[in-house]
Formats: sequence, C-alpha cells, structure tokens
Amino acid sequence: MVKTQVGKLRAVSGRVIAKRMLMNLIALLIAVAFLFPLYWILISSFKTDVEIFNKNIAYWPRDFSFVPWVHQLTDNDFLFSLRNSFVIALLNMTLSTVFGCTAAYGLARFRTPGKKIIMLLFLVTQMMPGSLLLTPLYLMFTGAGMLNSYAAPTLAIATGSIPFIVVTLRPFFLSLPKSLDEAARIDGCNAFTSFIRIMIPIARVGLVTCLVFCFLHGWNDLVYSMTFNIKASMRPLTANIYKFMDKYGTKWNQIMAYGMILVVPVVLIFVSLQKYIVGGLTSGAIKE
Amino acid sequence: MAKFFKRYRDRITGMFFVLPAVAYMLVMMVYPLLYNFLLSFRDLTVMNFKGNTSVFVGLSNYSTILQDPAFHQAFWQTLWFTAACIVVQFSLGIILAAFFNGKFALAGSVRGLLLVAWMMPVSVTGLLFKYMFLTEGGVINDLLKMVGLMGGAPLGWLINPSLAMWAVIITNCWIGIPFNMLLLSTGMSNISHDIYESAAIDGCTVLQRFFRITVPLLKTSILSVLMLGFIYTFKVFDLVFMMTKGGPLNATEVLSTYSYRQSFTLFNFSMGAASAVILFLCLMLVGVFYLRLIRKDEVM
Repeated sequence: MVKTQVGKLRAVSGRVIAKRMLMNLIALLIAVAFLFPLYWILISSFKTDVEIFNKNIAYWPRDFSFVPWVHQLTDNDFLFSLRNSFVIALLNMTLSTVFGCTAAYGLARFRTPGKKIIMLLFLVTQMMPGSLLLTPLYLMFTGAGMLNSYAAPTLAIATGSIPFIVVTLRPFFLSLPKSLDEAARIDGCNAFTSFIRIMIPIARVGLVTCLVFCFLHGWNDLVYSMTFNIKASMRPLTANIYKFMDKYGTKWNQIMAYGMILVVPVVLIFVSLQKYIVGGLTSGAIKE
Repeated sequence: MAKFFKRYRDRITGMFFVLPAVAYMLVMMVYPLLYNFLLSFRDLTVMNFKGNTSVFVGLSNYSTILQDPAFHQAFWQTLWFTAACIVVQFSLGIILAAFFNGKFALAGSVRGLLLVAWMMPVSVTGLLFKYMFLTEGGVINDLLKMVGLMGGAPLGWLINPSLAMWAVIITNCWIGIPFNMLLLSTGMSNISHDIYESAAIDGCTVLQRFFRITVPLLKTSILSVLMLGFIYTFKVFDLVFMMTKGGPLNATEVLSTYSYRQSFTLFNFSMGAASAVILFLCLMLVGVFYLRLIRKDEVM
C-alpha cells in the first residue's frame, strides 16, 4: 500500500520535472525570438563595411571588426553628444527627484489642502502628449533666450518625470507606519530631518526605481532636445541621429554602433538594478 | 485650541513639501497648456512672431484642420495604429504573463530580460527596425525568404505606403508586449494558488483555468492596462518620426507627427497648437475613464 503511493509520487514528480524542463525550453525559445533585434544591432555593429554591403546577409560576422565602435568613440562630435546625453539625463534625474520625492512624501503624510486636485494634476500630466507642450514651451524658451541650452530640454522632460515619481513613490510612503515618523519626532527630528534621515532611507527601493527611470527619461528623450536645441553641439545622441545618418548614409555598421552605445547604459542599469526596477514599478505604477 | 494649532501646523508642513513640485508644474505645464489653448485661437506663425502682431481668429484654425484631408488621414491612421497595437500587444502580453507566472527556473530571468525592449531609447529601436525592414539588405525580408513566406520580389516595408504602417505597428508591439506582460503578471502573481489548485481538483483544463479564473480576477488590472495602452499608443511620436517621418505619402502620419509638422516644419504655431488640443481631447476621452478606475486608490 505505502509502496504504491511512493511509486505514484515519484511518477508525478517525474512528470512535473519533465514539464518544467519543457517550460524552460519554451522560455528560451521565446527569449531567442523576441530578443533577436538586440542580437542584430549587436553583431551588425561589429561587421566590416564589406560585409554590410554584401547582398548575402551574414548571421554571424565572418571577421569581427571594432572599427565602427572605435570610429564612434574617437569622433569629437559623437563624444560631445554623448556628454550632452549624460548631462541632460543627470540634470533631469536630480531636478525631478528633489521635486518629486518631497511632493510624494507630502501628499502621503500630511493633510495638505487641495490634495485631491493636486493628485489629479499629476495623474493627468502623465497622460499628456509631448506635442501638447512642445509649441508653447518652444515659444516660451525662445522668448527667454533659452534655446540651445541644457536647461530647456531638462525643464521640459521633468514635467513628465516629476508626476511619475509622485505616482510611483507615494504608495511607498503611504505603506510606512506613521509611528516611525512620530518616533523620529520624539527623538528630536523635525518634519524635514525625519524625511531625510528616516523616510528616504526606508523608501530606498522606490527611490532607486525613480532615479533609474528619471535618468532614462532624460537619456531616451528625443522630441524636446531635438526641438529646443537646434545647434548640433548642444544636442544629445538621440537628437543627433539624423545628422549622423546624413554623414554615414548606408553604413549601417556605423549606425548600429552609434545605437549600441545608447543602449549599453540602459542594459547595464537594468542588469544591475533589475529587482528594484521590476519591484518598484509594479508596486506603484499600476494599482489594483 | 492646541489641537487646532497642531492640525494647522500639519497642513503648513505638508504644503512645504508639496508646494515646490506644484509650483513647478504650474509654471512648466499648466501655464504652457493654457498658452497652447489660447494660441489655438490666434494666427501665430513664424512671420508675425517677432513683431507680436498675431490676432484672434476664433475657431478658424480648428475649421481649417477639420477640413484638411491630411488631418483626417492622420486621425484614422492613429486610431488604426492604436487599435492594432493594443490587440497584438495585449493578447501576446497576457499569454506571456500567464506563461511566465508558472514555476520554472528561467521564469523570472527571461521575463526580466524581455523588458530591455521596453526600456531602450525608442529612437534606437526605430533606427534598428528601420535597418531590419530595409527592402534590400534587411534581415526581415531575408528571414521571410528563408522560411519560404516571401516568394517573389522583396517587400518594400518602408517604401510601400500599404506596408509602412505595418512595419511601424510591428515595431511598436515589440516595445509594448513586455510592458503589458509586466503589468499583467503582477496582477496574476497576486491570485492565490489555492484557487488554481481547487480548480485542478475539479478537473479544470488550462484554457478553462485561464478564461474562468485568471481573466475575471484580473478584470481591473486588464482594464487599466488597456486604457494605459491606449493613452501611450495614441500619442506615439518618436517611433514614427524615426522610422518614416510620417511617410511614404503620409501613409504613417499620426496626430502627433501632424501637429509637429504644423509647428516645426511649416512654422504655423497656431495650427500646431490647435491640432495638439484635438489630440489631447481624444486622449482625455479615455483618460477620464482611467482616472475613475484608479481614483479609489490614488486620490484618497
């Protein structure tokens, strides 16, 4: 009696293991098919000119060439744009985090008057198309003599990043017990020091998510930088792609190397901070 | 009295935290929004911008736009683009979410890896797919030929007006699928395994389990993913601009590229502003429902 039951269990677990193996296999196939474009940008950036222009497409480069990468990374125009990309991304990250975190905390912790309307303001902003702000901001920045600066795209990008932080981070602060705050006050903190010393460190998972996404908002921006900064020397990499394509025509290995350099930071950030990104996004970005 | 004072102080402190961000949004968003609205009733172009001599023209920008065949084309193409993208990215997203919700070693890491497609700069994604969709030397035509799906001449994905929109839709779905999957799989992981187990005892098949348990329990999550999907897809700009710039022959023109062209190619700022207002109104039609859906949680 007992023996047959054990036998049954073994058979079942054998089937479960087989099923899991199969699912792992399917998962791998999905990954290969779905991520093929990433493979393609990577290997294309290592192809020689001869291979890029060859009519028979090579799915594996016959000889790896570092020429496109070296070419980009030693080009002055490229390096300037790369620097602009970093400056705009970091500026947006700083600006949005300072404004966004404080607002998220204030809206979660205090009986702020007009809370409902303020939350509505942030939620509606998240839905707005960039093109709605583009024309008025362009005219405002023209009037203020702010075209071709780091400030113009940064200020515009932050109108999207600040609401993102408020909506993502507020649930974090809401979920912290109020007694924490009160204990800090008894120990001599005021509202501000308790925010900086107690709340921020505790909400760091959410905070890292926000920092990452604000960096990416700035790094990935195309439309604001392209519209406000006409001078190529003030444009980030994304906005200079077209100028660059005129220069290289159909040398797609060069173009793919250019694109890869824009993707590398994203992948690095993602690989090192995956748990923060997925955890932070799903706890705040969507509600059930 | 002391109680009143304490409550009052609480409000003041709260305002200190909230005020900077609100002031920022008032200056950088609410004011431009109103400015844009006023602009749409004037005739501001690059010609009269310097002299500040634009005049009030009432609704004439709106009537010009609504009579412009290019606007009609852009409007219907935006709707078609949005509908096609949502159907594809939602259905594949929910299937993948259900699949990766299973317990196997690679579930978490592969699911995470797919998200890179969503986080990449859209301008690079556009560029990459532009390369892959090339008629000659594009890897997609080469693959189609290899598996025998393309017999005759290579397909002109980006130069044939009837194919170009498909190329953009496919690319946008590549970005949208992982996002839909991520949002839906969070909802799924909250469904208790006990329900599935008792369903399994009752002899439930995989499909029944999906349609009778997962979908009904995910209803709110599904609704908000669909609405968010609509909002994000309807305002598409970067991708279209990078891949086709609205061409060939306006075949991929959408509302945001139409508005951009009015303002920054034709320098007809008021027309650009008016078309942006129309785009915003379309978004708000769905936005209002989305706000009502999440209101309970977000705005206490």
